Amino acid sequence: MRTQSLDAFQIIADPSRRQMLMMLSKDSMTINSIAENFDMSRPAVSKHIKILYNGGFITIKDIGRERHCLLKQDGFNELQGFIDYFDKFWTNKLSKLQSILNNKSKQ
Amino acid sequence: MQKEIKQTWQFRQSPEEVWEYLTNPELIELWLMKTNFKPIKGHKFQFTFTAKPEAKYHGVVDCEVLEITPFSKLSYSWNGSTLDKSRNYNSVVEWTLLPKGNGTELQLSHDGFTVLEDILTHSNGWNSCLTKMENLINQ
Repeated sequence: MRTQSLDAFQIIADPSRRQMLMMLSKDSMTINSIAENFDMSRPAVSKHIKILYNGGFITIKDIGRERHCLLKQDGFNELQGFIDYFDKFWTNKLSKLQSILNNKSKQ
Repeated sequence: MQKEIKQTWQFRQSPEEVWEYLTNPELIELWLMKTNFKPIKGHKFQFTFTAKPEAKYHGVVDCEVLEITPFSKLSYSWNGSTLDKSRNYNSVVEWTLLPKGNGTELQLSHDGFTVLEDILTHSNGWNSCLTKMENLINQ
């Protein structure tokens, strides 16, 4: 299973992983308590957790004998980058339109 | 966290003239991208561009005209994918033209990034959760 090469969009494309992030946005949870909410094997849950962890969406803290997952901002920053990309894209295109129209009115 | 794009541009030209550049494929291509747009509600069209090899986004944007009111409002869906086609995004682009003196105020809104939206909406919560967690740990 390749987990390193997934980008932020591939990571949140999976409904189970989105649901995990949703649950974690309300409160931190242990891996066990996350697993209780899903009809899948414990290794499958761990795989998703690992993908979220590698993507920078969560961090894992060992407290006593339990592993606690909590949200981390890095992964979300990449999504923000997507919005920023289009913001710049439109600024670029519209300044081009403006200069075309301005040159035209000078003629 | 910002989840939509809003921009306002001022033009010296009339709404009619600016409208031409939003709806005539030959004129659109001059500043935006090659397209087979038609000013008809429900018309499905595409924007195409040559994506750079390192680019994240695929060179085709699939669109459909959602709303069209001559010289004042135009909106279309804007759906694309990452270069490896593993990730799709759906969004909506909306143009509003307002007469301002002899010129035009052009408003752009690009939002409705579905799939992303639910995550973006909730991401604000991450910070308070983190703080809460820290407090629990430190008790």
